[in-house]
Amino acid sequence: MFNFFKKKKEPDYDPLNIQVTDLKKGFIFDYDLSQWEIKEEYTYDWGDNFFTKEYKVSDGDKTLFLSVEEDDEVEISVGEKIRLSSFEEDIESEITKNGRPPKKIHYNGETFRREEESPGYFNDGGSDWVEMISWDYYNSDESQVITIEQWGEREFDASIGKPIEAYEISNITPIE
Amino acid sequence: MGIFKRLFKVGQSEANAAIDKLEDPIKMTEQGIKDLKKDLDKSLQALAEVKSVAIRTRKEVTEHTNRAKSYEHKAVQLLQKAQSGGLSEAEADRLATEALNRKEESERHAATAKENHTKLQQQIQQLKNNVDKLKSSIAKYENELKMLKARSRVSNATKKLNKSMAKVDSSGTIALLERMKEKVDQDEAMAEAYGEIANENRGIDAEIDDVLDTPSGGSSALAELKAKMNKD
Repeated sequence: MFNFFKKKKEPDYDPLNIQVTDLKKGFIFDYDLSQWEIKEEYTYDWGDNFFTKEYKVSDGDKTLFLSVEEDDEVEISVGEKIRLSSFEEDIESEITKNGRPPKKIHYNGETFRREEESPGYFNDGGSDWVEMISWDYYNSDESQVITIEQWGEREFDASIGKPIEAYEISNITPIE
Repeated sequence: MGIFKRLFKVGQSEANAAIDKLEDPIKMTEQGIKDLKKDLDKSLQALAEVKSVAIRTRKEVTEHTNRAKSYEHKAVQLLQKAQSGGLSEAEADRLATEALNRKEESERHAATAKENHTKLQQQIQQLKNNVDKLKSSIAKYENELKMLKARSRVSNATKKLNKSMAKVDSSGTIALLERMKEKVDQDEAMAEAYGEIANENRGIDAEIDDVLDTPSGGSSALAELKAKMNKD
């Protein structure tokens, strides 16, 4: 009855200058000569009030994962899921045995070294936060990063990504 | 013009003047830009909806194309099975024909979806051009407003400064200095006048005493020299 008097909420972004840090589920942007729609929006809590965002995006053909980290600067990377079986090493057995994956892993003939271990919590937009741990591996020139994640006792995920510049994400169009 | 009409006109002009005073042009322009940004947001959302349809259409093209390939592959497998004796030739032909029909149907769907996708891309480009025009206009207005705000701030500051300068000239330090200068002139004139009066009041006796009591510097020096010569 009183909806008429309710003030419509202003958008969180400036429509004249929508940034990659404004992205939300449903938004569409241009990247690598394609239009990508955000299908899912995830949040990671790494402790000490440090959060990062991840978006599952699709151009109709492919699905990618866009990570946005806003610390002193905005760091963005684009990646895709890969199978644990694509590594030369038996990652799952190594984690079960030693509590962490090996120091060095090999993917597509290239060596990646483990550089970070980050325990945290994951949220997919609902009210639940799931505990997880992730390990980041870099190749020699740090142009590519492989992330291995462990969820619960025996659930694992792996992805390979590369850092990109903010200007590579353009024509961001919002949706209510 | 009748008296009432004139009275009404006077009232109207007074009311307009009062409203003009209430209006802050900067605030009104800011509100105007805010409204334009709302329009831009709506246009962007409309564009996003069309883009979303285009992405779905692209997905349809891929799905129908993959399905067509899959039916073709099945038809080949059926014929191969018949060749190897795993299936009667008649049954293989029937199923393979059906598979090829489905393949054609999927290809038709893929072609339609592709056509739709091309049309949608054209619409997206048109909408994007309009959105870009609106963006460019708003950006221009925003820059002009920024410039006007800066100019307004500078003119206000200049106005304040000039106002205080004007105040200082009329009743401030300069006036005080003028008054002080007048007073000093007056005091100097007074001192001079007193000096003249004092000189006039001196009698002839005082003048003689002055001459006798204070020997001139030259004669005293002469006496000293004479005394010195006598000693030698």
